[in-house]
Amino acid sequence: MRLLLVEDEIDIQSFLRTSLEEAGYQVAPAADGKTAEQLAIDGQFDILIVDLGLPDQDGISLILKLRKLGVRAPVLILSARRSVDDRVRGLEQGGDDYLTKPFALAELLARLRNLLKHNSPAGNEATRLRVLDLELDLLRREASRSGEILQLTPQEFVLLEYLCRNAGRVVTRSMILDKVWGMRIQPDTNVVDVHIYRLRGKVDGKGQQPLIRTLRGVGYVLKDR
Amino acid sequence: MHSAAWRISLWATLAFACGTVLVFVFLHNFVANDIQRRSDAWLSGEIEVLGDVAERTPKDALYDRVVGEVAELAGKEVPNKLLSENSSNDSVFFLQTGDDGSLKLWVGAGNGKANLQAIKAIRIAPDHPTDLRVEGFGVPFRVASIRIDDRSNIYLGLSERDELRVLRSLRLRFFLIWLLLVLFGFSIVFYTTRRMLSHVRKITEAASRIGLSDLNARVPTTERNDEVGHLSRTLNRMLDRIANSIHQLHTITDSLAHDLRSPLTAIRGKLEMSLSAPTQGEQLEPIVAAIEELDRLTEFLNQSLDVAEAKADALRLARSKVDLDELIKIMIDLYGPSMSEKGLQILLKSSAPSTIEADESLIHRMIANLFDNEFKHLPPNCTVTIRLKVEGESVSLVFEDDGPGFSDEVMPHLFERRVKGRESNGHGLGLAFIDAVARAHGGTVTARNRESGGAEIEVTLPLAPTDYKANPITVLHGNG
Repeated sequence: MRLLLVEDEIDIQSFLRTSLEEAGYQVAPAADGKTAEQLAIDGQFDILIVDLGLPDQDGISLILKLRKLGVRAPVLILSARRSVDDRVRGLEQGGDDYLTKPFALAELLARLRNLLKHNSPAGNEATRLRVLDLELDLLRREASRSGEILQLTPQEFVLLEYLCRNAGRVVTRSMILDKVWGMRIQPDTNVVDVHIYRLRGKVDGKGQQPLIRTLRGVGYVLKDR
Repeated sequence: MHSAAWRISLWATLAFACGTVLVFVFLHNFVANDIQRRSDAWLSGEIEVLGDVAERTPKDALYDRVVGEVAELAGKEVPNKLLSENSSNDSVFFLQTGDDGSLKLWVGAGNGKANLQAIKAIRIAPDHPTDLRVEGFGVPFRVASIRIDDRSNIYLGLSERDELRVLRSLRLRFFLIWLLLVLFGFSIVFYTTRRMLSHVRKITEAASRIGLSDLNARVPTTERNDEVGHLSRTLNRMLDRIANSIHQLHTITDSLAHDLRSPLTAIRGKLEMSLSAPTQGEQLEPIVAAIEELDRLTEFLNQSLDVAEAKADALRLARSKVDLDELIKIMIDLYGPSMSEKGLQILLKSSAPSTIEADESLIHRMIANLFDNEFKHLPPNCTVTIRLKVEGESVSLVFEDDGPGFSDEVMPHLFERRVKGRESNGHGLGLAFIDAVARAHGGTVTARNRESGGAEIEVTLPLAPTDYKANPITVLHGNG
């Protein structure tokens, strides 16, 4: 995956570059709009990360310019601004995504994956999810581990489904709040932890290999190996 | 507005009507006096002539005839004469009395007895014509008298009928003209006031619209250099200044946010990377704590800036429809497990969906704050009752508990920033933030201690109008 990273803050650019490369992206960094334009015309990119506050031009103008030049790749917009510009909303409706700084790396990676998935032809939507010995029947809303049905509440099922869809990858509390409850909030209490704790109690029974792992300070991961 | 136009026009018309009535009364009196002066002059002249004739005519058999003829002739030269209904001349009479007061000679309509009686009833001074009411005649006579040498009195009476008729028709004309003038004046005043006030109304409407949503709009201006033009230009200058201040505030909060978020992003990123580095072992814990602190700091920064903007009524809202009932249910679902872990119970009393038109993200955070607040301040085994009730045009969301309530020392400063209970571990922004969000949506927040113990926080928000058409974006200064 070739990725164009347009970010002028050197600190942010460097850690993003490292972690994106770790995640398997080929990263081409650009610190201003002009360089970014040049790179985008010369090379074929699968995805772009564009910071809104560039030294030489507005990030949105850059994206619009690139679109005119025929760059079709989806864009993940990064912004440290408080308010969301109308034009950003327009881009969001056009299939691009928006992430506010500061962000968790896990969330950035998840958004990138999402953008790439949206951009590729949709495969058949599975009706069953399988992670190791955990199985989810999406039609009957039933989960079972090693063939044994788990007694989950509807909300717990949605949470488990989300973890399964992202099996092997880190999901943060904010991502869980957003995807499972539809809330973009930052509670300063441990609401999500308790849900995970309860779910773990049902999924990881006695004598079984624990599937749901907590990565402190980062989030959770459902083991797929 | 219309009533103001009405009032102004009524008062103006009243003053105008009074003024014109005064002018007409003055004119009327002037005309009436003039007519009387003329008839008096005629009477005085004629009576002189008649007296002369009566004196010089020899007192023979022809006396009556000669004097009578002269008197009759005089009667035909009456000033201001109008055609009377009957042919006989009843507008003038001539009467001569003898020394003893008996009727000597009579020229006029009827036999003159009534006239003589009326004359006897009052004293008529020579040379001063006087009003005389005679029985049988509708209108009074103006009577002049003269005393001649043979000690007889001569009276010449002129009916005031014609004079009154002239005055009556004058009054009628005056009245009609007055009525026309008043109506005309009223319509002019009403029309102009209404025009003026409609400009004012347009300005008011525009100004109230601007207050609600869009500070970039301006009130309509006119080219005219009158008070209304001044008003709109002044309002617009004021709006310019307000918009400028708000824009300035946004610039400050935005650049503050930007300048703090960029380093926060870099720090967080580096911490996360060092967390994922495999060989850290023992040193994980401080990094985890640092990341959590950083997230808390970010949220604090966001809420502080929101509160600051809301205090200046400058919070930017992206409004959409939000069903509070549904939202509360999801929140209860979210918070339920951690509440019950702590031994807290949640009861929901909600009757119907209640849709508001609000910034979804702000409302989510506001309600999360309400839950966080209960969660952090309640000791175990308490119950939180959440009531959602629609009252008229607004919906109120009540969080009440049976905990210790607000302490006396924080009670008066609940909605100020950095106020928190002694036991609280939050950053003391919760209620200030709730208040800020409610205000920004045109609502209110009240907090009090219940009589039965425990705290109660009530958030009242206006319901979405039923014909609401989604207009999701109302960003004031979109460049942010």
